[in-house]
Amino acid sequence: MADDRMTFEATPTMDIETQDKVESAERAAENGNVGAALSRVDGPLKVTGQARYAADFAVPNPLYAHLVISTVGKGRITAIKDEAARKVKGVRAIYSHANKLDSGSAKFFAAGGQAQQSWEPFAEPDVRFYGETVGLVVAETILAAREAAAALSFDYETSDPAAVFGADGVERQDMPDKTITKGDFTSAFEAAPVKIASDYETAPNVHNAMELFATTAHWVGDKLTVYVPSQWVKGFQIGLAEELGIDEANIEIVCPFVGGGFGGKGSLFTWVSLIAAASRELGRPVKLYVTREQGFTTASFRAETRQRVRLGAGEDGRFQALEHAGEELTSRADNYFVNGQEATVRMYQADAIRTELATIHADRQTPGFMRAPAETPYFFGLESAVDEIARELSMDPVELRIKNDTMVDPVDGVPYTSRSLKECFRQGGEAFGWSNYTPEIGSMNEDEWLIGWGVATSTYPTQMSPCTVRIHLDVTGEARLQVASHDLGTGAYTVLTQAVAEELGIEPSQVRVELGDSRLPPGTIAGGSITTASNVSAIMIACERIRNRLGIEKGSDTDLAAAFDRFGQAGIEEYAEWTPPGAKKDAPKTLYNGKVKIVGGPEEDYTAFAFGAIFSEVRINKYTREIRVPRMTGAFAAGRIMNAKTAKSQYLGGMVWGIGHALHEVAEVDPRTGAYMNDNISEYLVPVNADVPNMDAIIVPEVDDKVNPAGVKGIGEIGIVGVAASIANAVHHATGKRLRRIPIRLDDLVDV
Amino acid sequence: MKPFRYQAPSSVDAAVEAVEPMGVPGQGGAFLAGGTTLIDLMKLSVATPPSVTDIKNLSLDGIEEADGEVRVGARVTMAEAASHPIFLDRAPVLSDALWKAASPQLRNVATLGGNILQRTRCPYFRDNVSPCNKRDPGSGCAAIGGINRLLAVLGTSESCIATYAGDFANALILFDTTVETHRAAEGPRQIELEDLHVLPEDHPERETVLADDELITGYRFRLPDWARRSVYVKARDRESYAFALASAAVALDLDGETIREARIGLGGVATVPWRAREAEDFLKGKTVSEETGLQAGRIAFESAQGYEHNAFKIPLGRQVVAKAIFDAARKDVSGSAGQSEGAN
Amino acid sequence: MAVTRRSFLGGTATAGASALAGVAGAARQAIAQEVDDAGGESVDVSLVINGVTYERRLDTRTSLLDLLREELDLTGTKVGCNHGQCGACTVLMNGTRINSCLTLAAMADGARITTIEGVASAEGELHPMQAAFLEHDGFQCGYCTPGQIVSAIGCVKEGHATSEAEIREYMSGNLCRCGAYKGITEAIMEAREATHSSEVGGQS
Repeated sequence: MADDRMTFEATPTMDIETQDKVESAERAAENGNVGAALSRVDGPLKVTGQARYAADFAVPNPLYAHLVISTVGKGRITAIKDEAARKVKGVRAIYSHANKLDSGSAKFFAAGGQAQQSWEPFAEPDVRFYGETVGLVVAETILAAREAAAALSFDYETSDPAAVFGADGVERQDMPDKTITKGDFTSAFEAAPVKIASDYETAPNVHNAMELFATTAHWVGDKLTVYVPSQWVKGFQIGLAEELGIDEANIEIVCPFVGGGFGGKGSLFTWVSLIAAASRELGRPVKLYVTREQGFTTASFRAETRQRVRLGAGEDGRFQALEHAGEELTSRADNYFVNGQEATVRMYQADAIRTELATIHADRQTPGFMRAPAETPYFFGLESAVDEIARELSMDPVELRIKNDTMVDPVDGVPYTSRSLKECFRQGGEAFGWSNYTPEIGSMNEDEWLIGWGVATSTYPTQMSPCTVRIHLDVTGEARLQVASHDLGTGAYTVLTQAVAEELGIEPSQVRVELGDSRLPPGTIAGGSITTASNVSAIMIACERIRNRLGIEKGSDTDLAAAFDRFGQAGIEEYAEWTPPGAKKDAPKTLYNGKVKIVGGPEEDYTAFAFGAIFSEVRINKYTREIRVPRMTGAFAAGRIMNAKTAKSQYLGGMVWGIGHALHEVAEVDPRTGAYMNDNISEYLVPVNADVPNMDAIIVPEVDDKVNPAGVKGIGEIGIVGVAASIANAVHHATGKRLRRIPIRLDDLVDV
Repeated sequence: MKPFRYQAPSSVDAAVEAVEPMGVPGQGGAFLAGGTTLIDLMKLSVATPPSVTDIKNLSLDGIEEADGEVRVGARVTMAEAASHPIFLDRAPVLSDALWKAASPQLRNVATLGGNILQRTRCPYFRDNVSPCNKRDPGSGCAAIGGINRLLAVLGTSESCIATYAGDFANALILFDTTVETHRAAEGPRQIELEDLHVLPEDHPERETVLADDELITGYRFRLPDWARRSVYVKARDRESYAFALASAAVALDLDGETIREARIGLGGVATVPWRAREAEDFLKGKTVSEETGLQAGRIAFESAQGYEHNAFKIPLGRQVVAKAIFDAARKDVSGSAGQSEGAN
Repeated sequence: MAVTRRSFLGGTATAGASALAGVAGAARQAIAQEVDDAGGESVDVSLVINGVTYERRLDTRTSLLDLLREELDLTGTKVGCNHGQCGACTVLMNGTRINSCLTLAAMADGARITTIEGVASAEGELHPMQAAFLEHDGFQCGYCTPGQIVSAIGCVKEGHATSEAEIREYMSGNLCRCGAYKGITEAIMEAREATHSSEVGGQS
């Protein structure tokens, strides 16, 4: 509603209940903008063990494969010691660079391709990082494959890897073209009466979805079926076709269920073509489990960052100057970066803005998407800095954020399609009990517990991609939606069911949704929180066409049988393509070529973000310094919510990730070798049930009829953003210690 | 995993005959109980026994008390022991150390005999690649100059700083426990628990005094009445299912506020289950207070040596000892019967 | 106690074996024989899984998890780490929850195993725990879910579900990377009474 959107004038009070937001909430409620809390339609399969994930598909008479990974961080293979491995009963083949399989590599995804890295496995004897795939064993049984893989070793000519920030030999690549500027930061910062300048660090993280990476390749003649966990079956199909040198029409990628993605299954794994090529050569299906340990290095990860934030404010708290600079680790060959400053500098009004980005090329694997790739690390920096300056200003950290709220993009003045940050803080604060906050350090301590409260802003750009769908409706009212999109646990099966049911005026139980198969009309990559907005927008087009052809109205009590009778056929099928605002008209066609065009966030004509507020309580034991998060409240406004139940789960899941990001997760790199020394989920810690005692997510109603036809913003990633800062801020409140490196562990507090 | 022969004999005598010692630590056949350490290490190729002797058919069960002495069979599981009234009420430190370890699934199969022999989690031992004197004698220690946050600060040597990873032994050691074992030729023998594990010194590949064919059959110990006043404090990175960064098992014999006797065991910080006897001596006759507790902690860690990432364990360990002393002193021991373990 | 070398009859389940196990089983049987001839490293096991008796000659290294997934096509039990760190492979052995990845099939010889496939009634009616997970959205991706549900039933039967705090502690051996812990805990709170009094898959 353009007329609702005005430039927000700072108010000196905590009154954040502005009229437009109240109206938005009321309209949201009236419009049924929060969908029914339908239980997952795929739930019965999941609770009975019948949902088949990649490694669960039975193929006839399979061979088993096992990867062998490098045990040096940099070098080249000089000899293959395979004598013992070949003696293992049941071994059928051992592959490495010396007898390279007939496969190649698709282009790196960040360069417009589909592959997780730019180089081809086994193409050369070089080892680029510790844990790189250097060998593949294929055997009759899973036991023989494991045994032979353990027996296979290599001689290497090695040199010292430069695997971490600061190591001798890393290469810095500045990216001035990524710099965002507004006004003159340097003079504005100098002139600001109150300022802070701080450096922050975030750790390397590994997705560690519960599902092991696994791949089964099954050829029947020249037709190849691949069962592989994927957030992008269409991209996998196109990329794999290129790697194998075959027609893409001969490849089917099957992945109806994904055992957690979080970005880690978004680009084509290096081993998929190896397994397919080995299967082709050996004439039998080949099944691979990548071990948990191997998954740490053979797939992508979230790279470590180092950040500098300089923030200057007036005595009244209004931001006058904001600079956010970041360095991100990447591989030697690929320039992967997330550049979260693009989002951080759009959170608050500021007179002068400046960003800086550099990558540090090191001897590590190529990083990749991981839940809110850009925002997760960079909002730790920004939202910690805002807390620091709130302390300098002696202002309430919520009030300071409200004061700097803006209804237009601070960089270029383009209006937000909607922005309900104030309402998130109001509702979240009320639920959390923020009015009881006392700002003095340690003022809320009890007995042997140091207690602190912290807040942070959360956000995620509303992104969309082109999408195609096919919908079939028959005279009995049964509908079928087909789209090569994915349900990673996000609830896509369920919300797309609800969307079709609503658009066609039928019951959810009458809708069947088919996802996760590359033969289906190309849908969305399951990344960037784009699935619901994009798929529902396409569904709306297809359903409207069906309604038009049948001559029925949306929302009316329709006699479908009569309509079909008039139509003269027992069924009707529609294919639709949706192009998001800001994308080229032919964008849906490129989906067929394995290209993804994601638009949204800051665009020329609009700025689209979802917002949230995170409130955290930490308790730190006075003696053990153990840090726990007994309470957390998140309040999120993300446009239309299709399903209150699955949406809450998405938010809560993101918040749990935030606890891990803040307190647990770090892949510990031994700088001498580049090896991850905690490459298991016993020592790479993720939160367990006992770490999450009391957590709530509030759905803040919001109507956004500008962002896309569905009015939907993405919710899969916003939950994690800001959580780490809210926890770090709470740790500061409890202890007076400002910790600018995560994860924060008791080591950091033991001397308090 | 390498192939191995599997056998499940039905008597202790048959088991110790069957186990195939090779005379070199780690090379011979292995006893298998719950499997939670052994099978894990076999999957990593760190353990490669030619044969595995499953003791599931041996009747080494039961927790009993007779003539003031508690006898526990080696095949009693961690879960069974944690909820047994003798552990729960008479020596809560034993129950605490059990339910705060591992996960319910692991505790349901892991036995007390095997648990005492739990191997280190040192990543350089487990990766089967790095130099490691424990796994590959004479190859060096990659941990000393490596990622050593979780490794030991007490009882270390220039050869090894691997942490003893278990919890239960650190508590059981408080009660002057005797370990009962059985060998093929020599038959049964008794070993003081405190003498069971050996410091790494120059031979970290030797972890205990047990012979290769020697099977732990049970434990015997006496619980003083004041063992009711005992706790196991375990500091860790997450709330559950994590190894100790530092832990303290403490039992106190109090006369009002005065400590008649204290027993202190340490975990997560040492290369073996660790009894802090100097700190115990110090506490005799002292009044319970914050300063006394911290002083006991300081004494307990006097000989500690920190490395690049684990020096925090020294101040942490002191504070954990202090907390355990307070918690034990404050423990309500009036009517503990009938309580259950864990997260009350 | 040498490894038994008695000739083994059968090699297919007495009932309920999948077609897959039959096909792949033949190849594996040959390998098992090959290994056996070389070193005697195979073992005969008999297990009752979800009420069905299976008899197999297996490579001694075969974990219970490998047996379920790769031999019997009971893929509801998931593999998440293979090292007892995640709980995705949780099954009930003689009514007690265990990690099937760290249990050799040989160790389970003679045991009664319940997997997620055996939790609902034979008629397909969901167990109260399954229904509660569905209602409380105690999962997202669903991968850890079979292990969570089996573990939850074990947790209740052990008597470790007396409070929310106790449930959280005693369910911490089951990692959920999606972070569905709140729903999991709520589901167990709701289903615990019915679980106490109910049977699993028609058996107690």
